[in-house]
Amino acid sequence: MAKQIILNPVTRISGFMAITVTIENRTVVAAQTSGLLFRGFEQMLIGRNPFDAVYFTQRICGICSAAHSLASTLALENALQIKPGDQGRYLRDIVHGCEFLQNHIRHFYQYTLPDYVKMPADFPVFHTQYNDFRLPKDRNDELVRHYFASLEISRQAHEMLAVLGGKAPHNHGVFIGGITTRATAAKIIKIKAILATISQFINEIMLPDVYTIAEYYPEYFDLGKGYGNLLSYGCFDGYSDLGTLYVNPSVYIDGKIQAFDPAGITEEIDYSWYRDRVQAYRPFETMPVDEQVKPQAYSWVKAARYHNLPFEVGPLARQWLSGDYRRGISALDRTIARVLEAKKITNIITTLVERLVPGTVTQDVYQVPRTAAGAGLIDTTRGALGHWLKIAGGKLSFYQIITPTVWNLSSHGNNGLPGTAEQALSGTPVADPDKPVELGRVIRSFDPCISCATHVYVPGKPVKTVTVVP
Amino acid sequence: MKKRQQVCSEYQKKRETALKLVSQAGKAIQNGALTKKNLVWLELTGCSGNIISLLDGVNPGFQYLLTRMVNFVYDNSLSAAENTAAMDQLFSVLGTDYILAVEGAVATKNNGRYNIIGSVQGRPLTALEAVKRLGEKAAHVIAVGACATHGGPSAARPNPAACVSVQSVLQRPVIKLPGCPCHPDWFLGTLAAILLFGEVALDRQDRPLLFYSTLIHDRCPRRSFFDRGIFAEKLGDKTCMFKLGCRGPVTRTDCPVRQWNAYVNWPVKDDTPCIGCAQFGFPDRMEPFISYDTTRREHGQTDHS
Repeated sequence: MAKQIILNPVTRISGFMAITVTIENRTVVAAQTSGLLFRGFEQMLIGRNPFDAVYFTQRICGICSAAHSLASTLALENALQIKPGDQGRYLRDIVHGCEFLQNHIRHFYQYTLPDYVKMPADFPVFHTQYNDFRLPKDRNDELVRHYFASLEISRQAHEMLAVLGGKAPHNHGVFIGGITTRATAAKIIKIKAILATISQFINEIMLPDVYTIAEYYPEYFDLGKGYGNLLSYGCFDGYSDLGTLYVNPSVYIDGKIQAFDPAGITEEIDYSWYRDRVQAYRPFETMPVDEQVKPQAYSWVKAARYHNLPFEVGPLARQWLSGDYRRGISALDRTIARVLEAKKITNIITTLVERLVPGTVTQDVYQVPRTAAGAGLIDTTRGALGHWLKIAGGKLSFYQIITPTVWNLSSHGNNGLPGTAEQALSGTPVADPDKPVELGRVIRSFDPCISCATHVYVPGKPVKTVTVVP
Repeated sequence: MKKRQQVCSEYQKKRETALKLVSQAGKAIQNGALTKKNLVWLELTGCSGNIISLLDGVNPGFQYLLTRMVNFVYDNSLSAAENTAAMDQLFSVLGTDYILAVEGAVATKNNGRYNIIGSVQGRPLTALEAVKRLGEKAAHVIAVGACATHGGPSAARPNPAACVSVQSVLQRPVIKLPGCPCHPDWFLGTLAAILLFGEVALDRQDRPLLFYSTLIHDRCPRRSFFDRGIFAEKLGDKTCMFKLGCRGPVTRTDCPVRQWNAYVNWPVKDDTPCIGCAQFGFPDRMEPFISYDTTRREHGQTDHS
């Protein structure tokens, strides 16, 4: 007999989220993921000074603010027809790399670990209703120690970011042309020193830890697969002298890697609480308004699609597309890929730092055009992030943001296909419907960031059971 | 604890205020002079960046807060429990001696349904309802960051979720720590003062005088450029950022002295203007953040916006 489970809140993510699943024979047959926070940044940005977008859009997200500074800067550079120099790119990509490290370390230890490791009971914040903890006591204790040790390491990743970025969260450094400040010998040495500590932690502690989790929870190699469609806008790519250090814009579908075409991106709103003259649109075309009465809609997370299909974005997508990791696509592969990516990023930062020329100025006096449009597409910590903006009368007249979480945690598309994480939840066995520990493990492998999914909303009434879509 | 470089003794003392209070509170708890209080960290409509900033603290680090200062009961980003067990954990503090820290603004649109933070007895729990229930009974309420203190970016024009400050929905004193985000020292120093003395000296806008008494402009290392009229023309210049839109002259915090992220840097040292993120009215009344000459009318403009 079908039974419905609602998990609200799903903690240990950035922002607020619920999962509703239908289970039959102790297996998930249908799932809905709902963000529980509405912010509406696109509406706020209209009428503002275009340059302010770089600092303003960072306030979308406290854990990945630099990502938004990058995407908004790229969109402005596109609109102003400014091409940053190599030094400018190195500098801001170092800032971005620091944010990857901060995020991945925090996500693995603070957000993921308590799903698999029994945290000490003398701290109330670690109390849990679950009891599927399989590590032997000595290894469990060791990972608990690493949870605490990681706090200092992720903190240092933000310190490293602030050396060039001024402060974190919400940096001041990333801007049109590169970054605002200059690299100095002292700053470069400071970054290298911190990076050495972080690299050592990742290699000697974090990588063994993720394989310890894999050893004791191997069934998660078979769970949380999803569609297996992967997408990246590219990052740390296309340097004039270094070429691509990580991944080019590309997609993986039907077992083949293909070039990525930005014209294939759409958002669909049949199943989300929005109203517009069209139900599907390209990013530059329109910005729907909220509509609370819409019978077929069950969430306010829109559905980002590429050629009408849902795609997974994030560390596993990048690792797969770059050829670094091809073991499989699952909840555990996603978590392992995130840790492997942290290691990769330390190598990339090392390469970029070596190229810095102290004292290089990347700034200029920029003019706002009366009328312009620009797009900024880049892969960030959680995956593909896009900002699309228009300028009219010297002010922002349009702003569209599609965050990685709008890809991974999207609602059903107009064709009825569930979103990527919804699909990944399907088929998950639930041993004890009163304690469905499995759901959080699958969903956290996507590292949802609901603070970023800026236009989500959940209706007050209970979510209805959805039909299973083949 | 991280050792900082030697500077002017007055600055040194200022920078150590938070650390001294925290150490004193930690010791008093260790030797039994004080008992640990419960702390709830409630995230509302915002970016959840203030808990990240707290994790970025070094004097002390987060582990010290967790192990030595308080019983850290709940935070959406950190709690091991989820679903109803998490909600039970959150509300377990009612009837105890607890301090409530709130980050994020309170969304009031559609009766608060623009921010659901969980579910209680099968019913969605709005942030509005949670902050009211927990806020009225707390020994102290601390609003952490711009969204909590005055709506901040979450309430930016046209305020799509009808966000308001924490104070707006509570009939009780609320300590306000503006900043986007709040500096970890500002929170930890305030918390330590409360634990030690039961209160903290506030200005007329409920900000602790310890951290918010002096204008950035008055302690800015680039003040001499301002006094001599030497102004930066673009980001990256090493002179006064006033004509690029610096809000240091209206923003009261100790950023120039304290600095950020283990005290390595701050916006002006990063060759950018202060954008007034710790001033009431941020962001709308602090804009434009960047303009290349605030004293010159731009071509084709008829007035300043």
